[in-house]
Amino acid sequence: MTIRRRRLAASAMAMAATTLLAACGAEPSSDDTATGTITYFTFSAAPDHLADLDAIKAEFERQNPGITVEVQTASYNDYFTKLQTAIAGGNAPDTFELNYENFVTYARSGALLPLNDLAQADSDYDPDRVYPRALEAFTLDGQLYAMPSTFSTVVLFYNKALFDAAGLEYPSPDWTWEDEWEAAQRLTDRANGIYGDFQPVTFHEFYKVLAQNGGSFLSADGKRATFNDAKGVEAAEWLLRKPGAVQPTLAEIGGTADYDTALFKSGKLAMWHNGIWQIAGLAATEGLDFDIVTEPGKTTKANAVFMNATAVSAQTRKATAAWKWVRFLSTSAKTVETRLASNWELPAVNDPAAFETYLKQSPPANRQAVFDALEHIALPPVIDEQQSKMQDIVTQALQKAATGEVSIQEALDEAADEVNALLS
Amino acid sequence: MAERRTRPIRVAATVGRYVVLGLGAVAMVGPFAWMVATSLTSDAQLAQVDAPLMPDPITVDPYQRLNDAFPFWRFAANSLGVAAISTLVQLATSATAAYAFSRLRFPGSNALFVLYLATMMIPMQVIIVPLFIEMRYLGLVDTYLGLLLPTLVSSFGVFMLRQAFLALPKELDEAAYIDGAGHFRVFAQVLLPLVAPALATFAVFAFMSSWNAFLWPLVITQTEAHMTLPVGLSLLQGRYSTDWNVVMAGSTISVIPVLALYVFAQRYVVRGVTFTGIKS
Repeated sequence: MTIRRRRLAASAMAMAATTLLAACGAEPSSDDTATGTITYFTFSAAPDHLADLDAIKAEFERQNPGITVEVQTASYNDYFTKLQTAIAGGNAPDTFELNYENFVTYARSGALLPLNDLAQADSDYDPDRVYPRALEAFTLDGQLYAMPSTFSTVVLFYNKALFDAAGLEYPSPDWTWEDEWEAAQRLTDRANGIYGDFQPVTFHEFYKVLAQNGGSFLSADGKRATFNDAKGVEAAEWLLRKPGAVQPTLAEIGGTADYDTALFKSGKLAMWHNGIWQIAGLAATEGLDFDIVTEPGKTTKANAVFMNATAVSAQTRKATAAWKWVRFLSTSAKTVETRLASNWELPAVNDPAAFETYLKQSPPANRQAVFDALEHIALPPVIDEQQSKMQDIVTQALQKAATGEVSIQEALDEAADEVNALLS
Repeated sequence: MAERRTRPIRVAATVGRYVVLGLGAVAMVGPFAWMVATSLTSDAQLAQVDAPLMPDPITVDPYQRLNDAFPFWRFAANSLGVAAISTLVQLATSATAAYAFSRLRFPGSNALFVLYLATMMIPMQVIIVPLFIEMRYLGLVDTYLGLLLPTLVSSFGVFMLRQAFLALPKELDEAAYIDGAGHFRVFAQVLLPLVAPALATFAVFAFMSSWNAFLWPLVITQTEAHMTLPVGLSLLQGRYSTDWNVVMAGSTISVIPVLALYVFAQRYVVRGVTFTGIKS
């Protein structure tokens, strides 16, 4: 028994010793930041565009011998769990993709490397090449924290065949909410399963229609929620009057994934508020005659824009190499060409010539609407931390009002109180 | 007593039983049947609003596309290896710990057992960041060892097997001691075979839990060489749209090993029940 105990004790000590040694020896030293292997973590490449990303990566490595890029992917739903754990655990990827909503939180928390110095030291970088509104969006307190890489706008899709059958004029850029409502009512034929309009009742639609009504989500100093004023109630009412009348209700959808996509592709939906990422799938659907137009507003027009950017981690040891990759991924000719050819979102570059070929593709014929939407942007309201909590609060308040349990004003007031609690 | 119930009532009772059981069976098997049906649907039909339950035409295209999306067989092999090793080691550690907690008297054994049991209440989400930091200090991020290490012990297993051991009479141990056996022989040759049904049941639980584990493999693996099947299936979900037929094809294949293990383990569970019947 004693011999066994001694042996156990010896092996336990040996294990403890090896773990300590492993911890000591784990930090490699490297003082050359311009070459080596850098990691890139992304959510937009999987599952459809891995080959495109490989093409861009190969071209970058060809132009920059000495730098190798290692790509890691995750699906959008799990991306931020993994990213946050990696950053908190001290193992952040050198470069990673961020969308606008999460960018502000990460920038303010100090997880991102400020890029102004790297940008100025780089003679190949031309700030005019990047779409200016995007550069602004990713600059915080005068420092650029991420290079804008892509943008997508939300537009109104419409089914030309259904409009023709009802003898109605196609939607025009001058339309207002009332025009859309009238057309939707005339086009709805529930007996045949045809709906006139589809706009989800969620946070992402709410802040946009609020802007279309001239309202604002937060006060100017960002410290108070102001979406429960009269304009907010009107905006919420606009969203809420549709389900049941011209749009399937949540109960009718029954939790089916991509119900609205299936509806539009089957030719059973006349108008659809969705993003331009749907274009590739719709163009591939046989027998679907559709076009797009900028969304109608009420007092003004306002469109939702989704922007993605690539950031460099503050923990990286390869800052110069990371910057070169980030710049290439955003602005190089190869990137622009690859993205446009495979419909992989739109590159955030200021290059009308590059978009010529994009505009000429059809359907939809009115691709210009994608860029017209950029003239009136409604940026999502962003708060430090708790961003997803705020989005959930608003979406749940709207759904509560949809059931009729509480009035719209009450639901919004309650949500505003909860958001104010988050802000303080 | 049986004659008092008239024939029609007996028939009605039987029919009623069959109806209830039949509905239960449909409810249990229904989702799986739908999963297989969706995995055989073509893209065009997937987008239809009122798609029929049975796809028409039936196509195996989603299965062929599985490997294009991510290295499916590599991920499946990883999952299988990790689940197998994790189950076997959990069986070994849980059985030995259960033997210690049920048969050995040492000061603080009760308190230690309660403390160990209490750890069952801590969800993975709470410890995931400290665990990741620990793996990083050990240099085990994105390695098989890092993937396996937190899964090698199971407090649920210790609890379950301890219950099984407690049900066995001490006379068996004493008889073996008299014959000159030490602790290990009593454990391995006398007691372990008698708790075979509990071991088989726990093996199925452990395998299923390891096979389906998502959060830890998601966080600890970075390169495709080490990823497991649930992580791979999550990669199939696009940001704006998902090819559900391909996801269902992957899910259908991933159900097969668990089903096979259960069928295999079921024999031991049944055999164990038969033995205890004869014994008492």
